[in-house]
Amino acid sequence: MSYTLRGRLETRLATAALPVLAAALLSLALREWWPLQLAATMLAVGLVLDAAVYHRLLAYQPGWVALPLGLVELGLTMALVLRLDVAAPLGPALWFFLASWLLAQVLGHALLPLLHLTYGDDGGELGRGGRALSAAAPAALVLVLGIAWAAQPPTVRLEGGTIQGPLVLDRPQVVDGGGTVVRGGILITSDDVTVRDVTVFGGEIGIEVRDSEDVLLERVRVGGASLDGINARRSSLTVRDCEIDSPDVGGAQGIDISFAMMLPPSVVEDCSVRGGGEGIVSHLAHVDFRRNHVSATSLRAIAVTEMSMGSVARNVVEDATGVGIFCGDWSHCAIRENSVTGTRADPSGNPTRAGHGVVSHYYAVAELDDNQLDRGAAAFIHGRFDDLR
Amino acid sequence: MSPRCAIVGAGLGGFVAYAALRHAGLEPAEIAVLGERPDADPAAAWRVRAAAIRQQRMRSESDGHCAPTSFPGLAVREAVRNGSPGPLLLSACDRYRPSVAEFLSHVDELRDRSGWDESVRQNRIERVAAVAGGFELDGRGPFRHVLVAPGHPGLAVPAELAGDARTVHAYEPHDYAARVAVVGAGMAAATEWLNALAAGAEVVSVRRREPARRPLNVARPLFSKRGLAGFHATPRAPRAELLRRLGAPSYPPGRSWDAPVERAAREGRFRVAADPGGAEQVICATGFRRGFEHDPLLRRLVEEHGLETEGRWIVLADDSTVPRLTDGTRTLALAGVPAQWAYPAADTLVGMKYVARRFARRVVACPTR
Repeated sequence: MSYTLRGRLETRLATAALPVLAAALLSLALREWWPLQLAATMLAVGLVLDAAVYHRLLAYQPGWVALPLGLVELGLTMALVLRLDVAAPLGPALWFFLASWLLAQVLGHALLPLLHLTYGDDGGELGRGGRALSAAAPAALVLVLGIAWAAQPPTVRLEGGTIQGPLVLDRPQVVDGGGTVVRGGILITSDDVTVRDVTVFGGEIGIEVRDSEDVLLERVRVGGASLDGINARRSSLTVRDCEIDSPDVGGAQGIDISFAMMLPPSVVEDCSVRGGGEGIVSHLAHVDFRRNHVSATSLRAIAVTEMSMGSVARNVVEDATGVGIFCGDWSHCAIRENSVTGTRADPSGNPTRAGHGVVSHYYAVAELDDNQLDRGAAAFIHGRFDDLR
Repeated sequence: MSPRCAIVGAGLGGFVAYAALRHAGLEPAEIAVLGERPDADPAAAWRVRAAAIRQQRMRSESDGHCAPTSFPGLAVREAVRNGSPGPLLLSACDRYRPSVAEFLSHVDELRDRSGWDESVRQNRIERVAAVAGGFELDGRGPFRHVLVAPGHPGLAVPAELAGDARTVHAYEPHDYAARVAVVGAGMAAATEWLNALAAGAEVVSVRRREPARRPLNVARPLFSKRGLAGFHATPRAPRAELLRRLGAPSYPPGRSWDAPVERAAREGRFRVAADPGGAEQVICATGFRRGFEHDPLLRRLVEEHGLETEGRWIVLADDSTVPRLTDGTRTLALAGVPAQWAYPAADTLVGMKYVARRFARRVVACPTR
């Protein structure tokens, strides 16, 4: 086939229509954006290559050339998907691409020539149908973007000052606090909740997250809670730029993320946690703790334990009693580029709490890389270190 | 039901147009096909020529058939029948050449399926006259829409060989003498070299220029809009010159063509010469006479209606209609070799379809039909 430029673009749009529709339905069914994002990326890659490369290089395109071109498009599409952080699982994404490519071959070689008699003569152009398709494509794009915009959770702007909690967030929404103080805590029980620029004061737990995914806590401050600053169960969340001031009681935890092994990883980054028994801790969860400042804890500053999997990187730990960074109970931890200083021994005399910078305990495996520890690292009860350097 | 359109010529060009009209929704009674032959076989003339040069394979590819849609092509048909993906893989690599038997079998099936025989009348048309409301064909009609597919205007034999008793045209039935001169350098000539060598003859290739080697009659982009856009935009004189160049003899590249010739050359049984010399038999693989003036019907059409011409071509619109005689209410289109002005490969099956599809579109779209 010797495609004209218009023919290439119209054929591309015609063959992509069904995959895009399927992706839209899949997105609705899964309540995930990645199918539509993947389809849009595929289409965008194809259209750009059509206009910028294929039309110039291929005055005539034998049938077999579709195979290497398909591989090129697959590579570029997957590279873009990774680059744009599209959350498409690799296997389904590859199958989706393969099915779309095969469909395009069937349409291009069989169905379109049957539906539009002069398809081949016209270099892949589809006549009035093609023009309608070209006009409909931007409209469809606007429609999808409109739906995406309309489907965004509503934003609730708090008026500032102090409001009495507890505040219960049980549906998707964005709470823009604007510096508002919430007394008595916040309870989140819904997916797709964002809370930002809020100070929480008082209550037993500052911010409690239950059975929720895609939760973002950004620029939140918690103080005066009698137990935990942030406590998440069976949830996946991101905590960013937070400040937690925990009480000096044994069981208090700054941030506790637990029982979420089957959920996407949770992230705690750029937070400042002070006081309490444990600063940042996970139990049976997949976590990423990075660039946090944790100080003055009485049990452990950062703990990844009870069969958790976690990365602990570029954190600064100061003045912790007992243990700086703890990897325990069959957990696997990647501990890199942290600074742990000023740790001191627990007055109990327990050798596992002798002020170690890092402890690997009870069958835990900790990979260490480029950490600065002024009291060294120790392993107990089959705990192990894999020193990368 | 009276015919809504007429096809002048009942060969492959007319047959392809007929199939396109049927696909567009016309009934057999709405199409009048006027041909010279007593039988209605659309491939009759072609069969004789293919048999004369012992042609086994088509030069065209999977879509070189007479059906109105390019899919399913002959490769698909053969793959399904044999239960093998081989033809499809060859087609994807532009290596599929259907057999002559495959092509003719498809013609026969389409002939039965389309109702062709119901529409064909034996009438040699000598004059197409534009009249109010359409065209009269030797006084019949008027027909609003007429497609003229007259075929090639006779075999071309060089003047210096016309009276030579040794001479036979490649497209006429013949056997091979012990020493054969083959005049020409195109597909038929190349086929005849191999035929004569296979028959044990000593072959002299008589040619004025080295043949071009290309898979199809013209470069592939010229088969579709991408290449045609530039061709259609070319001014008349250079366009005629371009057509003359495209008409130079050529045959496909490949070992199956070269190996027997090279082997025979080594054995002293094949050589190139400027004239037939003392050959016992001179086979003129020199194709057909070229130009509308060799066809009485087209010559008269040009003379009586003052049609524009350039060199040996009638000037046509891009859709192969005759501009002076075509408007919103009537159509006169040319198909086959006289349509080269609109489509350089008009004498191929794909070229015939190009014209047929556009003619059918005009017939169906005409508000006065």
